[in-house]
Amino acid sequence: TKVGGRASSFTVVHGLQGLNALAEEAVHPVAKPEAVVSAGPQAPVLRRCELPVPATRRPVQAWVESLRGYQQERVGLAELHPDVFSTAPRMDILHQVAIWQKNFKRISYAKTKTRAEVKGGGRKPWPQKGSGRSRHGSIRSPIWRGGGIAHGPRGPTSYYYMLPMKVRVQGLKVALTVKLAQDYLHIVDSLELPTSDPQYLTELARYRHWGDSVLLVDL
Amino acid sequence: MAALSVSGVTRRGLTWIVLGAPRREFWSRFRKEKTLVVAETVEEAKKEPILVCPPLRSRTYIPPEDLQSRLESCVKEIFGSSVGNSWQDVSLEDGLLKFSFLARLADDLGHAVPNSRLHQMCRVRDVLDFYNVPIRDQSKFDELTASNLPPNVKITWGY
Repeated sequence: TKVGGRASSFTVVHGLQGLNALAEEAVHPVAKPEAVVSAGPQAPVLRRCELPVPATRRPVQAWVESLRGYQQERVGLAELHPDVFSTAPRMDILHQVAIWQKNFKRISYAKTKTRAEVKGGGRKPWPQKGSGRSRHGSIRSPIWRGGGIAHGPRGPTSYYYMLPMKVRVQGLKVALTVKLAQDYLHIVDSLELPTSDPQYLTELARYRHWGDSVLLVDL
Repeated sequence: MAALSVSGVTRRGLTWIVLGAPRREFWSRFRKEKTLVVAETVEEAKKEPILVCPPLRSRTYIPPEDLQSRLESCVKEIFGSSVGNSWQDVSLEDGLLKFSFLARLADDLGHAVPNSRLHQMCRVRDVLDFYNVPIRDQSKFDELTASNLPPNVKITWGY
């Protein structure tokens, strides 16, 4: 999750691509936008929730911005479903999902040799009694220098586990809720840029105070 | 030049002879394609507009003195002059009216309602309360450094 303030603030930009959606991340079942044409030099983009909203709750709203110009903020108004963008801020679920995402892909390849696998050490180095030295059975026991490791890492270990799907989905909903509540979520009508200059997007993010790192999600 | 079809010549030698004559045409074709491609990219780069970033804005906002009258005139423009004295109770349920009202206000005053508080703006009264609150860009530390401190108090940024 994000740290507020100056250091590493993190903005999520939702692109409402509509019919030509290439879902790079299938975040949640957001309905496609409907552009309501009305009077005015530029028709504002108004998006209604296609999924039914419970009667006791009202949808949350957000500005729809455009990437086509530096000053084209507030191109329209989008209504967002409250079950996704205004759920309870369950930090424990968010933590579980974050830790799961970090760990389930992990395979640790560390492996050490036990006293049986280290080369040598089959013979008793000196007889049990009479030499005056301490008694040993092999030169590769773990107390010897160059010996095997007693309880070391054994072979590739997998840390794979799956959280239930509903927990993962709830984690995404909580993340979106938290981002919206902290003003780090921006909704964009499409990801079209007027220039192919890579500096354009960085300057746009700087001008609109989006923060140091921006994640663009194409729906 | 015709290729030598001698059975005694090795395969490698044969191919070298085959490519010997048409080699100049072979490479000149590539050169023509390269010049065409370069010309196209140069034209495309010229067609794209060069956008200049406007100067960065500060996030400070001080509510103007005539805020009430500005709001009232905005309400009358967008909702029509039928509201009269109860302009503060006008509901912002309709998406189009709400968008045009809030967008007009934001362009006028240079300060927009953030996404997290848009759903709280149900009446014009809520919008008025929001715009009455001044916003300061400086953090508490910057304010302290700028203010008059006694000589034995020092503030340093040490991360």
